[in-house]
Amino acid sequence: MSDMTALERGYRRVLALYPRSFRADSEDEILAVLLATAEEGQTRVGLAEAWDLVRGAVRMRLWPAAPRPRAVRAAVKLMLAGAAAELAAVVTVAMTSGAVRAAVAARDPANVNAAMVHQVAILAAAPVAIGMWLWLAWANGRGEDWARMISAACFGLLTLSVLGSLSEHAGTYAPASTIAAGIVWAIGLASVVLIFTPAAGRYYRPRLARQ
Amino acid sequence: MQEATFLILTALADGPQHGYGIITEVAQISVGRVKLRAGTLYTALDRLRSDGLVSVDGEEVVEGRLRRYYRLTPAGTKVLAAEAARLQANATAALTRLRPGLAGGMA
Repeated sequence: MSDMTALERGYRRVLALYPRSFRADSEDEILAVLLATAEEGQTRVGLAEAWDLVRGAVRMRLWPAAPRPRAVRAAVKLMLAGAAAELAAVVTVAMTSGAVRAAVAARDPANVNAAMVHQVAILAAAPVAIGMWLWLAWANGRGEDWARMISAACFGLLTLSVLGSLSEHAGTYAPASTIAAGIVWAIGLASVVLIFTPAAGRYYRPRLARQ
Repeated sequence: MQEATFLILTALADGPQHGYGIITEVAQISVGRVKLRAGTLYTALDRLRSDGLVSVDGEEVVEGRLRRYYRLTPAGTKVLAAEAARLQANATAALTRLRPGLAGGMA
């Protein structure tokens, strides 16, 4: 019995090379097969079977079985574009900040501080937003179902913040940054629509339920 | 199609099998020539499942371990039939061309 557990530990060490989603789905099953095909009294992983497992792990990592549907590939590209647009928006905000301040001061002096706070908030949030775009592009590309949900939630927040800044009439003061926000929002909308299409849905289905 | 893939599909052609069952079936079909290893089997199954050629037929727990049964999907049956026909046509062509040579050699 102690021989068995040593062998099992050995197999598990090699199986750790496989992608996590695959292990969650199939590790116990493969282990059962490995133990069933092991020689009587075998205590260590054989060279040939270790090589076979390593080769499988490399193949699975380099060429994932499920090719990304076109909708997911497009969504990932859009999310990367979203990160770039976000960067462009931040640069725009930073560069127009002086003009915005002057415009607000001229038309609505009481609100200069509020407007500036808003701008600083946008600049401070930008690295987080860019990071989120990149992270979601990566996770959606891997077909993680939670990434879809988080993407949808982020898009909801983005919509609220765009609506919020529109209601503050930011557009009147800074058309450029409103356009930039609109572009970012449109990219968000398109990518969320894409990842919820039926074609993309099959890619996201958890492996366990994949039939 | 790789031979291992072809043999896995063939092993499933007459009914669902679990992983270990596929290995023994493949050994039998190939008359002991192909000894499928677990890594090869599961990498192939992963791909066949995502291509929709094989699906999970059911699961059971035997001695505390998950045992999953796989079966051919209609698409898998079609692909296997087409590949078998292709191999048969190739084999027939080879044998036809060899026959005169064999006959000559024997004469």
